Amino acid sequence: MIFDVLILGGGPGGLTAGIYAGRAQLKTGMIERLMPGGQVAGTELIENYPGFADGVAGPDLMMAMEKQARKFGLEIMTGTIESLDFKSAPKKVVASGKTYYAKAVIISTGTDPKLLNIPGEKEFKGRGVSYCATCDGPFFKDKDVVVVGGGSSGVQESLYLTRFVNKINLVEFMDHLNAERILQERAKKNQKYTFYLNHQMLSINGSQKVESVTVKNRATEEAFDIPAEGVFIWVGMNPNTEFLQNHIDINPWGYIVAGEDCQTSVPGVFAVGDVRDKEVRQITTAVSDGTVAAEHALKYVESQEN
Amino acid sequence: MLREEDKKQIQAQLKDMKDPVRFVFFTQQMAGTCQYCIETETLLKELVEISELLSLKILNYITDKDDVKSLSIDKIPATAVQADKDAGIRFYGIPTGYEFAAFLQMILALSQGNSGLDDILKERLHQIQNPVHIQTFVTPTCPYCTRSAFTSYQFAMENSNIRADVVEISEFPHLAQKYGVMGVPKVVINESHSFEGALPETMFLEHIEIALKKE
Repeated sequence: MIFDVLILGGGPGGLTAGIYAGRAQLKTGMIERLMPGGQVAGTELIENYPGFADGVAGPDLMMAMEKQARKFGLEIMTGTIESLDFKSAPKKVVASGKTYYAKAVIISTGTDPKLLNIPGEKEFKGRGVSYCATCDGPFFKDKDVVVVGGGSSGVQESLYLTRFVNKINLVEFMDHLNAERILQERAKKNQKYTFYLNHQMLSINGSQKVESVTVKNRATEEAFDIPAEGVFIWVGMNPNTEFLQNHIDINPWGYIVAGEDCQTSVPGVFAVGDVRDKEVRQITTAVSDGTVAAEHALKYVESQEN
Repeated sequence: MLREEDKKQIQAQLKDMKDPVRFVFFTQQMAGTCQYCIETETLLKELVEISELLSLKILNYITDKDDVKSLSIDKIPATAVQADKDAGIRFYGIPTGYEFAAFLQMILALSQGNSGLDDILKERLHQIQNPVHIQTFVTPTCPYCTRSAFTSYQFAMENSNIRADVVEISEFPHLAQKYGVMGVPKVVINESHSFEGALPETMFLEHIEIALKKE
């Protein structure tokens, strides 16, 4: 299949690019490994996306974006990217055994949650260890859980968990929370929280499923166990760029190097959203990138035709 | 349950259907003991109104014993989705939230008689000669689950030895208990092997091959 624009990944950046490119009447396709929506789809409530005074559920926002993109002709395929050739014309992408061609490519593969890499984390995934509150929260009704990470994601998602769980033990490596102040205040007011600041996670323990975690107080060096049946981990993100190694420029942290025009080191290949090297990673900035990249992709496609 | 604009979008998504697809829905009279039977029935009734190629047969879980047995139904609400023949495709519970998208995707694939899998994978699936029972446990709020659910349906379409149950686990807490489901998606193969998380098709298939080797 040959597209004018092929978008890799269906988060808010990719879908916005799909809306703009489709509306510009470019033949636009998207390859998504799961369902369109990206990380936002796993976020219960979005309070800072303009236009929704009462907030909007992540899945609702993303389904609306998908619908809007489909309306303008975006074709969405499911697949995992296996190989690439950005040097050929048109550019070539192989995903789940199928070959796609495109004049321009927009990369919006986003980020995945970082692992803690401590004993017990892999062993107990799906048996108490989780990275998705909306997916797994209901399994921990009236149970005690540990939330690792005091950034905005950790605190926001843990607030969602408060409706199910009995108690939240929030473990943060730094001696303070890094979450937005409004979130911090909500958590601090909630009786279900106990905060372990300046504590390091050492291991996740249990026999068949999670029974406790071992943490170390970084000030006193004292190690102790916290009983818990669930461990929710939000300690940052890793960009999904492994498949791009040696194809385009990537910074030492794995993010794609692209300027304000979202153009990468390869002409006609653009990067948008969280996967791009930038300072502020928000839905609004992803949406902005998607717009910019689609406009430049349009110019690129036109320049190739002339 | 479906708004007018939803119906329009579903219609657009199903416009490329080819062959008829039938829902065989199992419920019971005393629906009070089945939390989502009524809602599921309503949803299916609204769906069949959208396309002439869709039809619905409603059966009773208690009295229609032969069908319960021949289609291997073991809990309700249950929906068997069939094209010309039964490919072993079941959804237990109500297919809402993210799962609704996978449900539509499956209807379209069944109707077109094409799983959409690549040829190498199809070849490997065709070689499976022993019975494979895949249970994929999902929740409606899990964006990662739909891929696992649809993959299991694709596999069932390719080989009649494979049957695929997708189970909305929050409606069946006893199964969450039985299989130790504490995270979704969780896939159980032949009661003997399981894995957690959404995996690409090839890795999913590897798990089936591992399960069969264990037996």
